[in-house]
Amino acid sequence: MSKRIFQHPEESQTGKRYWRSLGQLQDTPEFRGWLQREFPQGASELEGGDVSRRNFIQLMGASVALAGLSLSACRRPLKNLVPFTRGVEWSVPGKALFFTSAMPARGGAIPLVVTTFDGRPTKIEGNPMHPVSKGATDIWAQSSVLDLYDPQRSKGYLLDGKPSSADAFQKALAGILSAAGDGSSLAFLVDGVQSPTRERLRKAVLAKFPQAKWASYEPNGNDLELEAAAVAFGAGHEIAPKLEGADVVLTVDRDILGVEGDLASVRAFASRRKVENSADAKAKMNRLYVVENRYTLTGGMSDHRMRLAASRAGTFLKLLAAEIAALSGDSSLGKIASELKVPEKLGGKDAAKETSWVKECAVDLWSRKGKSVVLVGQRQPVAVQLLGLAINSALGAIGQTLIVRKTDTVPALGIGALAEELRKGKTATLFVLGGNPVFNAPSDVKWTDAQSAAKTVIHLAMEVNETSAKATWHVPAAHYLEQWGDARASDGSYLVVQPMIMPLYNGVSEIELLAKIAGVESDPLALVQKTFVEISGVTADSGAVWANVLKQGSLEKSASKPVEAAVSVEAISKKVSESPAIRVGDKDFELVFITDSKLDDGRYANNGWLQELPDPITKLTWDNAALISPATAKALSLETGDVVKIIAGDKSLEVAVLELPGHADDSISIAVGYGRSEVGSVGRQVGVDVYPLISSESKRFRTGVTIQKTGRQYALAITQEHGALEGRGADITRQATVEEWSKNAEKANPDYFKKMGIDAHAPENFSLYTHPALDDVHAWGMAVDLNTCIGCSACMIACQAENNIPIVGKEQVINGREMHWMRMDRYFASEAGSESEPEMVSQPMMCQHCENAPCETVCPVNATVHSEDGLNVMAYNRCIGTRYCANNCPFKVRRFNFFDYNERSLTSLYKWNLLSEKGMAESSKMQKNPNVTVRMRGVMEKCTFCVQRIQEAKIAAKVHARDSEAATKPQVPADVFTSACAQVCPTEAITFGDLKNPASKVAKLKESQRGYRLLEYLNTSNRVWYLARIRNPNPKMPDASRAGSASRDAHGSHAHDPANGHSGGHQ
Amino acid sequence: MEKSGVTLEASAESKRQPHVDNELRRPPLVANERSLSWITDKVSNIVEAPTPKWWLLALCFTVPIALMGLACIIYQISNGVGVWGENHPNGWAWDITNFVFWIGIGHAGTLISAVLFLTRQKWRTSINRAAEAMTLFAVVCAGIFPAIHIGRFWNAYFLAPVPNANGIWPNFRSPLLWDVFAVSTYFTVSVLFWFVGLIPDLATLRDRAKSKIGQFLYGIFALGWRGSNRHWRHYEMAYLLLAGLSTPLVLSVHSIVSFDFATSIMPGWHTTIFPPYFVAGAIFGGFAMVLTIMLPAARIFPQINDLITRQHVDKMAKIILLTGSIVGYAYLMELFVAWYGANKFEGFTFFRARAAFNGEGWYQWAYWIMMFCNVISPQIFWFKKMRTNYIVVFIVSQFVNIGMWFERFTIIVTSLAQDFLPSSWGHYSPSLTEKLTFIGTFGIFLTLFLLFMRFLPMIAISEVKLVTPEADPHHGHPKH
Repeated sequence: MSKRIFQHPEESQTGKRYWRSLGQLQDTPEFRGWLQREFPQGASELEGGDVSRRNFIQLMGASVALAGLSLSACRRPLKNLVPFTRGVEWSVPGKALFFTSAMPARGGAIPLVVTTFDGRPTKIEGNPMHPVSKGATDIWAQSSVLDLYDPQRSKGYLLDGKPSSADAFQKALAGILSAAGDGSSLAFLVDGVQSPTRERLRKAVLAKFPQAKWASYEPNGNDLELEAAAVAFGAGHEIAPKLEGADVVLTVDRDILGVEGDLASVRAFASRRKVENSADAKAKMNRLYVVENRYTLTGGMSDHRMRLAASRAGTFLKLLAAEIAALSGDSSLGKIASELKVPEKLGGKDAAKETSWVKECAVDLWSRKGKSVVLVGQRQPVAVQLLGLAINSALGAIGQTLIVRKTDTVPALGIGALAEELRKGKTATLFVLGGNPVFNAPSDVKWTDAQSAAKTVIHLAMEVNETSAKATWHVPAAHYLEQWGDARASDGSYLVVQPMIMPLYNGVSEIELLAKIAGVESDPLALVQKTFVEISGVTADSGAVWANVLKQGSLEKSASKPVEAAVSVEAISKKVSESPAIRVGDKDFELVFITDSKLDDGRYANNGWLQELPDPITKLTWDNAALISPATAKALSLETGDVVKIIAGDKSLEVAVLELPGHADDSISIAVGYGRSEVGSVGRQVGVDVYPLISSESKRFRTGVTIQKTGRQYALAITQEHGALEGRGADITRQATVEEWSKNAEKANPDYFKKMGIDAHAPENFSLYTHPALDDVHAWGMAVDLNTCIGCSACMIACQAENNIPIVGKEQVINGREMHWMRMDRYFASEAGSESEPEMVSQPMMCQHCENAPCETVCPVNATVHSEDGLNVMAYNRCIGTRYCANNCPFKVRRFNFFDYNERSLTSLYKWNLLSEKGMAESSKMQKNPNVTVRMRGVMEKCTFCVQRIQEAKIAAKVHARDSEAATKPQVPADVFTSACAQVCPTEAITFGDLKNPASKVAKLKESQRGYRLLEYLNTSNRVWYLARIRNPNPKMPDASRAGSASRDAHGSHAHDPANGHSGGHQ
Repeated sequence: MEKSGVTLEASAESKRQPHVDNELRRPPLVANERSLSWITDKVSNIVEAPTPKWWLLALCFTVPIALMGLACIIYQISNGVGVWGENHPNGWAWDITNFVFWIGIGHAGTLISAVLFLTRQKWRTSINRAAEAMTLFAVVCAGIFPAIHIGRFWNAYFLAPVPNANGIWPNFRSPLLWDVFAVSTYFTVSVLFWFVGLIPDLATLRDRAKSKIGQFLYGIFALGWRGSNRHWRHYEMAYLLLAGLSTPLVLSVHSIVSFDFATSIMPGWHTTIFPPYFVAGAIFGGFAMVLTIMLPAARIFPQINDLITRQHVDKMAKIILLTGSIVGYAYLMELFVAWYGANKFEGFTFFRARAAFNGEGWYQWAYWIMMFCNVISPQIFWFKKMRTNYIVVFIVSQFVNIGMWFERFTIIVTSLAQDFLPSSWGHYSPSLTEKLTFIGTFGIFLTLFLLFMRFLPMIAISEVKLVTPEADPHHGHPKH
C-alpha cells in the first residue's frame, strides 16, 4: 500500500517558504543530524536523499504494475476527506441536524423533518409532531430531495432560450411593471399548490394592478369536487373524508388510499384495520366496498370490489341511491337520482349478481347510518359527485364521516378562460408561475397559441420544460428546501416551509417574484413572517411563537374546523337536472386518464427514483401503458407489450398495452405525465404523452374510443414478471376472514396462521449444528402487518434515499437488475371461475435477516456474515461478487451491482469502460447519506435493517450510559429509532425494533396470533414476521365466498383442520 | 522388418497356447501386429513431419475465435458482469453452465489415464495421452468462467487462504471454496500426471530431433531421461502414485462441483443424488468429447489407425451407454423424489418448470433437449454395429456434448428463474458477449489441442509399446 497523500495544493516554489524551526530553515548539518536521530527510519526519504530501498521497491512495484495489463486501473480510487478549516455552528462532523419544514403539494402540504449533514439536506422524514404526518410521508416527499440536487435543474435565467442574467431580468421586469398601468396587460397563471403568503401577495398584486387576470390550472386537481361542494354547501366549502369513524366505506372510482387521498385518509383508514386479536377484529374492522375501473391501492384493500367502467360510475350511484332512497324513504334522494342522465344498466354479464351487489352494499351502508360514507372519484362529473353528496346526506354521513370545511381559496380563472383572454391580444405580459401548461393543458384550449399571443411570457420553474421553451423569460425557481415559504396541510393547519440550504443555482421563489411584482418588501422570510403574524394573530412576543412554530413545524390549533352544513337539495337537484348526459359506448371503449402514481401530471419526470419506482399495481417502471383487462386483450388478440393505436375523435396515439387483472372490460386506462419532450435526460423519451387526447369536456375520461392493433411490439420495464401465486398463497400471503379468524381464535387454534400451506405438513425444525449464539443485548427484528399495508411503496423510496441506492435505467430494469433493497410484491389471486375478478395482495419484501442465513454459508470469502445482534451483514469491501448468496436466498432480496451505476451514466453502461466518462455529478454526491457506503460495481448489497441507524442509536446509548454500570453493554431503549421503511409508512404497517426488549412494539407484534414467518419449513429462522391479512367480507354479498382466495392453496383450503389427522409437524 | 515381425508373432502365437484353441482371445490392441519401431516412427512422424497446410488453416480458424473470446473477457472484466445476461434472480447462468460443462469434459482424460491404469485396462494406452491433454485444456477453459464471472476479478485472491493482517479467512463452509481447492488440485495433479507420462516420449523426440531448438527444448523437458532401469523404476512408481492420487480426484472434483448446487436450498439444486449423478455425467460428457477429438484425428492421421482401432471406439461407446443410462436413471429418480417428497416447491421445479409441456415453465425445451440427447440418443449403442460405425458414434457424441451442456443449463437456470416467491421470478437470456465468450473458449480449447498435436506425441509411445506382445515378459512362453 502506498502512503495516503492528501490532495492539498502544492506549495508554491516562488512564494513564501514555511518552516517549522530555524534549524529547518537554515538546513544546518546539526538539524539533519537531529532528524536522523529522531526519525531514523524515514529521515533520508523526508529530506530527499538518495534512492532508498523503500523508494526503489515502490518504483519497481509501480513499474511492474504499469508494465502489466495496467491493472492499476482496476483499483479502487483513493479519495480523502478534508475537514472544515473553520467549524460550522451546531455542526458536529458525522452528526445530522434536523429541521422542520413542509413540502407544498396540491391538496395539502406535507409536514416534514429534514435531515441535514453539514448543511446538505439528505433525507426527508415526516413531522412526527403533526397529526397529518405523524412521521410518515409519501413517495413525492421522499423523492423531492433528489429533485433538489438534480444536475439538470434549471441553473440560470434564459431569454428566448439563451442564457441571460438576473440583472437583465430585473431590468426587463421593472420595464414591464412600470408600463403595466392598471394591470390590464398582465396575466398570471399559477398552479394549484396553496400557500397563505402567495394568497396574500396575490391580493397585493391585484391591489396594485386591479385589472390583471389571475388564473390557476392543475391538470389533476380536485376542481370538480370543489365545484360540487360549492353547489351543495355554497361557495367556499370543501369536503374531506373522516375515515376513522366509518364502519362501512364505499368508494366509487375514488382511489382514496392512493393518488386521490392523502396521508391523513390513509392513516384514518388503517386505524380501523390495526387489530390485535380476533375479538378486536370483529369489533373494530371497517368494511371497504370499492367500485373502480382498474385496480388501485384502494381496490387492493377492498373487501368487495366491483370492476366497472368509470363512465358507468354514475349509473352505479343512481342504482345505489334508489336502493338507499327506498331504505330511508328519502324521496328527494330518489328524485335527484332519477334526474341523473346516465344509462340505466351497469351492463355487466351477470345482471342479477350486479343487482344483488348494489342492493346488499346499500343495505350495509344503511345499516351503519351515520357511520358509513360514499366517496366519489374526483374524476367524475359534478352531477355524479352531487349525487354522491346526496347519498351521503341520506346516510347521515355529512359532518360525521364526511366533514365540510371552509376554504380560503379564492376562485380564479380556469385555463380555458385565460386562453380566451390571451387570444383577445390585450395581454402583453403573462406570468406562468410553476406548472407546465404547454405540456399539460387540455388540447382544445390550444394553449401554445394562446400563450404566444402575449408579447412577453415569464415562466418560473425549477426545470427548463416545454413551457419554458416557449417562454420569453425562463426564471430558475428555488426548490422548497431552498426557500422560505408557508403552506396549509390537508387538515388546513399552517405550516412553515423552512430552507435547508442556500439556493444551489440562485433560484428565486414564487413569493419573492410576486413580492417584486407587487412592489413590496421581497425578503421571503419577512414575507412569510408577516403572513404568520396575520394568521396567528400574535402581536406580542411573536418572535418566541415564531421560534416555536419553526421547532414544531406548524402553528398550533390552526387546523380548519368542520362547519355545520347541510346539502342544499334544491341546488343539487337543479344542477343535476341541468347537467349533460353521460354517454357510454356499447361497442367502443372508454379511455380513463389516470393521475400517475409516480410522475403525477408529469412534473416529476426527471426524478430517477420515481421513474424507476414500480407502479404499486402494474409494477411498470419508466413508462406508461394502456391498461386493459385480460379478457379485452384476448378479444383483441393483444398481449402485454403489443403497441396499439388508440383513436379518440380526431386524435390518436400509439402506446403499448399492459394486461391488468381486475380491469373493467370496456375500459382503457392510461397514466398522464409521460412523453415529456423538454426535460432532463432522465425523463426524456419516457412513455407516451396522453394530453393531446384530453379536452376541456373530457378532462378525466372520455368515451367512444376505439383501439387498433398495430402489430408492433414495445418493451415495457416491469419489475414483477409473474403476479400469480401458483398455489402458494397459504405459504406466502396468509389471510383469513374475520369469521374464519373468530372460529380459529387465539385459544381455539393458536397456530392457525402458523400452520398454513407447507408449514402444516413440515416436521419440526431442528439443526444439525450448534449455531453461534446471538447473545447481544439486542435482537433486531421486524414485523410487517399485511392487514394495514396498502402497498403505496413509499418504503421503497425511503429506503432508496436512506441507503444511497442507485437507479439502473429502463434497459437494466428490463434485464431484471433493479437495485431496490426492498420491493413491494403484488399478487393477484382468484378462485377457479372468477379469474376476471381477482383479489390483490401487496407484500413488502426485504432481507429477512435469517438467523440461519442460507446466503452466509455459501459465500466463499466471508463477505456476508452474522452479527451478534442478529443482523445479516454485508462487508462490501470483502465481497468479490460470486452472486452465490443471491442464488441461495429463498426470498431473492439480494441485489448485485452488475455495472458501476454510481460512476457511469445510464446510457454508457455498455461502452468500453476506458472510453466512457466516469464520475457522479457533484450535486448528486451531496444527496448521499454519508453514513452509508456508496457501492461500486461487482458487489452484492441488500437491506441492512438500516444498520447505520442502529449503530447511531447504540453509540448514543453508550454515550448516555457513559460511566454507569450499563456502560459495558449499553442497551438502546425501546423504539427510540426505527428503520427508514418503518419510519415512512403512513399506516405503520412496518415495525422495526428490538425483539429482546419486551417493551418494544415489535416484540409484542411478533407474538400476535397472526404472526408467521415466510417459508418456515426451510429453518432459516427469519427475523421478519408477517402478520396475516384479515378480510371483512359481508356474508350477504354475492362475491363473499371469494374473500381470502389469495391464501388458499391449490386444494382450496386455508389450513388443515387440526382434527383431520395430518395437521402435520409433530412427528 | 514388418514382415519378420509378423512371422515372429505368428510363430510365437502358435507356440504359446497350443491346447486352448477354443478360448476366446482378446483382439490385439495394436492392429496388424506392428513392431515397436513402427510405433515410434509413426507417432513421432506426426511431430517431425513438415507443418501440414491443414494445421495452419485450422489455426487460422481457431486463433481468431480464441482472441475474440479473450476480447469478450476483457470487455466483461472492464465493464462489469452486466454485459452478460444475468440478472436477479438468475445470478448464475451461462457462466456456471459453461464452467460445469468444461469441467465435466475434463473428467475423461484423467479417468482414462488413472482409473483405467489402476484397473489394468490396457486399451487405454493409445488414447490416454490425447485424452489427458484434452482434460487439461478443458479445465483451462473451465477455470476461465468462475474466475471471470465474479464481480470484482481483481479481488479473486480473496479466495486463497492467505494469512493477512485482518485475520479474515475464506469461508470454509462454502462449497464454492471447496470448488476452488478441488479444481485447482485436480488441474495440478492432472498436469503432473500428464507430464510424467510424457517424459519417456519427450526423450524419444529429443533423440530423434534434428533441429537444435528441438533438441534443446525436448531435452529440457525430458529431464535427462536415459531409459535406464533406475529411471524406469522411479518413473513407474511415480506414475502409479500419481494414478493413485488422481483416481479419487476424478470422483471428488465433480462431486464437489455438484455440492455448489446440492448444499444449497434452492428447489432443483437441493438434491442428494447430485454427486454420483454429476460424476457419471462428467464421464459421459468427457468420453463424448474424447471421441469428438479422436475420430477426426484418426481420419487426419491414417497412420495411427492401427493404434486407435475400432475396438477402442467400441469400448468408449460402451462407457457412454453405461454412464448415459446412469444419468438417465438419475433424471428419473429426481422426478420420483420430487413426487414422493410432496414438497410443492420441488414439485413445481421438476414437473411444471422443467418437465411439463403445459407452458408453466419457461425452459421446457432445454429439459427435453437434455432428455433426448443424454438418455435417448446413447441407447443406440446397444448395437455393436452402431458402436463401431465412426459416423454414428461421432453424431451421438455431438448429441451428448449438447445434452450435457443443456443438463447444466437446466439445473442452473430453471431452478433460479422460478424459485420460491413467484414475485421474484425472472427470465434469463444470454447476451451476445456471453455467447461469444463461450464460443471463444472452444477457440482456446482447439488452439491448445492443435498446438499439442503438432509439438507433442499425441499417443503415448512408451505405453503403447508396453501393450504389444513383445512387451509381455512371457513373450513367447506359456502363461503361468
